[in-house]
Amino acid sequence: MALPVLICDDSSFARKAMARSLPDEWDVDISYAVNGEEAIAQIEAGKGDVMFLDLNMPVMDGYQTMEIIRKRDLPTMVIVVSGDVQVEARKRMMAMGAIDFIRKPIDNSKLSSILTKYGIYTGESSAKKRAEDESVNTGDSIAEKLDAFREIANVAMGRAGENLAKLLNTFVELPIPNISIVHANELSMMLTNIDNEQQVSAVSKGFVSPSIKGEALIIFNDADVTAIQKVLGADKYQQELAEIEAVMDVSNIIIGACLNALSDQLQVIFTHNTPILLGVHCDINDIVDNNISRWEKVLVIEIAYSVSSGNINFELLLVIPDRDIDAAFSRLLGAQRSAEQVIPARDTIG
Amino acid sequence: MSILEHSWQDALLSSIEVGIVVVDKSFYVHEFNQFMENHSGVLSADIKGKVLFDFFNEIDKNWLENKCQPVFSMNTPVFVIWEQRQYLFEFGTSRPITSSSDHMYQNITILPIPSESGQTERICLLVYDMTDQAMSKERADKLNEQLKVISRIDGLTGLFNRRYWQERFEREFKLTFRNKKPISVLILDIDHFKKVNDTYGHQAGDKVIQSLAMLIRKATRETDISGRYGGEEFVVLLPDTTADTALIVGERIRKAAQRYLVKHDNAEISVTISAGIAQFSSQFTRPLMWLEAADKALYQAKESGRNQVVLAEAHA
Repeated sequence: MALPVLICDDSSFARKAMARSLPDEWDVDISYAVNGEEAIAQIEAGKGDVMFLDLNMPVMDGYQTMEIIRKRDLPTMVIVVSGDVQVEARKRMMAMGAIDFIRKPIDNSKLSSILTKYGIYTGESSAKKRAEDESVNTGDSIAEKLDAFREIANVAMGRAGENLAKLLNTFVELPIPNISIVHANELSMMLTNIDNEQQVSAVSKGFVSPSIKGEALIIFNDADVTAIQKVLGADKYQQELAEIEAVMDVSNIIIGACLNALSDQLQVIFTHNTPILLGVHCDINDIVDNNISRWEKVLVIEIAYSVSSGNINFELLLVIPDRDIDAAFSRLLGAQRSAEQVIPARDTIG
Repeated sequence: MSILEHSWQDALLSSIEVGIVVVDKSFYVHEFNQFMENHSGVLSADIKGKVLFDFFNEIDKNWLENKCQPVFSMNTPVFVIWEQRQYLFEFGTSRPITSSSDHMYQNITILPIPSESGQTERICLLVYDMTDQAMSKERADKLNEQLKVISRIDGLTGLFNRRYWQERFEREFKLTFRNKKPISVLILDIDHFKKVNDTYGHQAGDKVIQSLAMLIRKATRETDISGRYGGEEFVVLLPDTTADTALIVGERIRKAAQRYLVKHDNAEISVTISAGIAQFSSQFTRPLMWLEAADKALYQAKESGRNQVVLAEAHA
């Protein structure tokens, strides 16, 4: 009899990617859930003997879902599949009874070895058939494209969060990335985590590849910069220099890790540019007004990081010009299709 | 790789206007290009296989190790810009005669060099000469700062002009709403100023205004915010000051003005002032309401015979 397997993720892109990576010879009956609430109902209906569970989801996230599974002692084996790969996240989920943890994007051989380890499936690991069966996200609608980008951002955010957690030696709360298409000069409206009344400091770094170009912006409230300095324990320089140093340290880690994750997922190699300080201690509107004169539409991925221990909040914006969205999307599809080939393909100029 | 290929790559490494240094985890130097040789005077042959820090005392070892740590462990590039640290290597500038700086401002890029194992065993330090950008930015900043000062100051008195004073007034208003500290505003006007102008001329009038500005500056603290509000009208914002204390300041200015004689040609001009004071109250929902309360008190001072300071009715 086919084994009931449940895939719980808010992104349809991620659900399909997960389904595609299940081994061909594994006899399974796949069901889907878009949040924890749906997942619980499915498990109770006997549709989730094994569940692949995402962490960051709206309505009910992975932690809350796991908590309910534990409380009600529901009959399911949970394998966490997440972009959030902080040690602390793994610890929390394992403590609640998850059997293992896989980082996104999914590595087939890692998945197989976990299935084998727990005696869930021991056959051939190749996963090519479902890749053809499962209808690939074709990105016909803009909603599908945004969903796919949200998922890439999720993974990138998780990697960056993991590195930041190491740097600051604390747990970093990861939100659900906010994705939208806006006019470039409306960027400041996207900043949910920034207090408009306060002054801000901001860093920008461009990233360039033939198919996808964009800019990463990091914006801090000044109060948070001081908090970061405290966490980093750097105070041997003059105040202003130390602030720039703190802003640069965090930007290097966050942007670097994010771009590494983007470049892995899109299979492109970026040219790294030296970041520039857009402003120190200035009004957020000044930063937007002085630096953004274009009216062009842009895809904005907004990630609002919070570091609970230091009460630090800051925003990462990945901004991709409208005209590059399609190119980036087809690059992403290509990368997904060749996911079995582990060798990263170089992004060549066509 | 053929010898020929090697040589053009070597030529490229030598002629590029960027410093290139490759080090491993213990900071032993593996590559040191011509740019580095030329600026440091250290020969590549001498430093290769030795520890970087032994040749460059100016480098803060702990600091650089900290910066490089994520490059090794997380495979991410790290950027250090001259705004946070002027330079890593203490070099002279590329133009020793016409450059206005005596050292080279540098941007440093630290890149991971992945080995075959996929682990980063070596990293590359790229040194960019940013001196010209740094100098022009500093010049522009200095000019902007001067412009800012000029645009804030009233030319005749050297006090803040009305526009900037109002800006500060509104900022303090907002702050006070939050921090609840006492703060008062004083508005003062020269009595019968028109008569001074009519009798002695406008130049004399200007001298009177300048003298009063000087007296106000003497009577107030560094932290008080004084401005010229109109022709012969002045305003002083007094942080951390109750109305009663502000009254002392007001009286000090009034008495000083009364005593002071402005010399013009052979005449000695004496003037008096009237002033109104209002302490902040949360009943003032807009900054202008607060200033109007002080203005009303000033009007009362004028009505009751001038040369006096009047407190606005207390607003609970």
